[in-house]
Amino acid sequence: MSNNSREEILHTIRKGLEGVGLEETLEERNFLSETEEIQKLTKELQSKLKTQFVGELENVNTNVLEAGSEDEVKSFLQDLIKEKELKSFAIWESEFLKEMNLKQELKDAGLKLITAKNKNRIAKADIGITEVDYAIADTGTLVLLTDKNQPRSVSLLPPIHLAIVRPENLVRNINDLFIILKSRLPNTDDISSCMTFITGPSRTADIELNLTLGVHGPKELYVVILS
Amino acid sequence: MEFEEVRFEEDSEKALRNKSLQKALVNVTNRFRSARNKASEEVPDWEGLRTAAREIKKETIENLDKYLLMLEEKVKKAGGKVHWAKDAEEASQIIINIAREGRVKSVVKSKSMATEEIELNSSFEHAGIKVVETDLGEYIIQLAGEHPSHIIVPAIHKTKEDISILFSEKLGIPRYDKPEELTKVAREKLRGEFLNADMGVSGANFAVAETGTIAVVENEGNARLTTTVPKIHVALVGIEKLIPRYEDLSLFLTVLARSATGQKSSTYVSFITGPKRSTDIDGPEEFHLVLLDNGRSKILASEETRESLYCIRCGACLNICPVYRQVGGHSYGWVYSGPIGAIITPQLMGIDKAPELPFASSLCGACKDVCPVKIDFPKVLLELRKKVVESKMGDVRVGGAKLEKLGIRLWRFSVEHESIYKITNKLSYYFQLPWRGSNGKLNSLPYPFSRWTDQRDFPAVAKKTFREKWKEIKSETG
Repeated sequence: MSNNSREEILHTIRKGLEGVGLEETLEERNFLSETEEIQKLTKELQSKLKTQFVGELENVNTNVLEAGSEDEVKSFLQDLIKEKELKSFAIWESEFLKEMNLKQELKDAGLKLITAKNKNRIAKADIGITEVDYAIADTGTLVLLTDKNQPRSVSLLPPIHLAIVRPENLVRNINDLFIILKSRLPNTDDISSCMTFITGPSRTADIELNLTLGVHGPKELYVVILS
Repeated sequence: MEFEEVRFEEDSEKALRNKSLQKALVNVTNRFRSARNKASEEVPDWEGLRTAAREIKKETIENLDKYLLMLEEKVKKAGGKVHWAKDAEEASQIIINIAREGRVKSVVKSKSMATEEIELNSSFEHAGIKVVETDLGEYIIQLAGEHPSHIIVPAIHKTKEDISILFSEKLGIPRYDKPEELTKVAREKLRGEFLNADMGVSGANFAVAETGTIAVVENEGNARLTTTVPKIHVALVGIEKLIPRYEDLSLFLTVLARSATGQKSSTYVSFITGPKRSTDIDGPEEFHLVLLDNGRSKILASEETRESLYCIRCGACLNICPVYRQVGGHSYGWVYSGPIGAIITPQLMGIDKAPELPFASSLCGACKDVCPVKIDFPKVLLELRKKVVESKMGDVRVGGAKLEKLGIRLWRFSVEHESIYKITNKLSYYFQLPWRGSNGKLNSLPYPFSRWTDQRDFPAVAKKTFREKWKEIKSETG
């Protein structure tokens, strides 16, 4: 049944497009050299981009901490644990977060570690901690790529999401981001199963246009920017 | 959504009398319009972006067969399955079969116009499978047993009191009146549904041919949950949703968010390529892409109206349309409303099912000016009107057209003969007097002129003509 429909649909399309000029469309662009250009520019602009990024995050109801040192991050976490009465957490096992040793820090503070393997369990975690693969300065957007150390649920199911951003994650805008991404995908089959853009906490305006946060995703979003 | 026949005139009159709907429509359209204007003015070369977006859509549609095959190949390579559905019935059947094979008992859905189009919910119900809408607006609509009235805020016709009563009755909970409380109730209720569901059904805003990626844009996070938590993910995607290249996403996401809600970026965008990889910790084990034709490939054949397929469903044309702003979404009789509904519905459903819709416009062109892909709505509407008249569908229309022709012929005769013109002018002044209302206008004329005055007043014929007045003024001022 399905196979016939495939042929039928393609046939109707081809018939409908008879006489329309079919030009070759996927032109070659050198994304590697474009990316080099972009990265040079971005590096020069880094402190400006950081200021812009912070401003945009604040526009979308996000709490921002600009941390001068790792100790500052840790004391911020301690305060958050007390303030929000956090009992459990989920965290990405990515290289950088491992280096920061946040997992041990939180365990020592008495929080229970929950893995993303079981959906029912991670739904009960009080906070999810991730880093980001990129951060878009001019929209305040976090870009997260799924892989074996970076499950999707950590930034989705717990009511609080905390993301750690390094200055080198910053890109100017979405245009630059897709050029960079494309340059890293010379073979488009290597693509991640899921990339997520996050711009602020979950929101809705479905009831008389009243803005309400946390309808489905995290109610609160914390972004810690390292220097 | 169940479709019989569009009754625009009947339904729009009902809408005009509904005071709370009128208030809600003004609120939502004004809010989105000013947000859109602000967001588009911020972009240095907004016009350039619109032109570029249109060009890419044109390229896609004119090479659609090629790009569909490319998409199919890439989705398969990523471990997904691709299904082709020529119509609504086949699409529903495919999805029901996937559910049966996966022994699915309960389904969660994120907002998708395509699933509304194929009436997927009723197919699930017939098959004895539970289905829950998870976008807050759609959830409200589903509980109420109604249909969406706006493409972005589906429940805009409902007040918070309506929703409070609805939740209390349907969910058996006490009355909550604040939007925050009602939202919290929905969150808790729906979180349970997500964790319990075996299958998630989403739509897609874009499908990238080059990589086999679908992009889903939202603010709530329910689409993320739908495409992450259940073990099977099905995406129903209209064949016109394609874009060729991965990097084209940056342009389209920029114009979509700003045109739809005036946001710089929507809260969440998920870019999904196939099911979870074997090394991934979470995500669905199965990914199915269902490509939906349902009349779209036929639209391609008409060069004049082909651009209807460029639409990215942002809703900007609804918010700006003087007709939509008065009559709301339900008057358009089907899933798509506003100017885009007026051109898409007759083409997808058959023009005989909705002959009134191409006429539900003043051809002011405001929709064309805001459209992020520059669809020439007035041109397409006129083209469809031509088809309605030529095919002699809708007796009233054709009868009306005949009378109109006769009227114009008579008018032409009179303006070509000065003495007759003068006499008819005088006569019409006296003829109209019995129908002159207290506001000095004609507000209820007999048939066939009632077809005008039923909807709006007609300016009365003045006692003195312009030429007579001109003479008077000239002689007074010397």
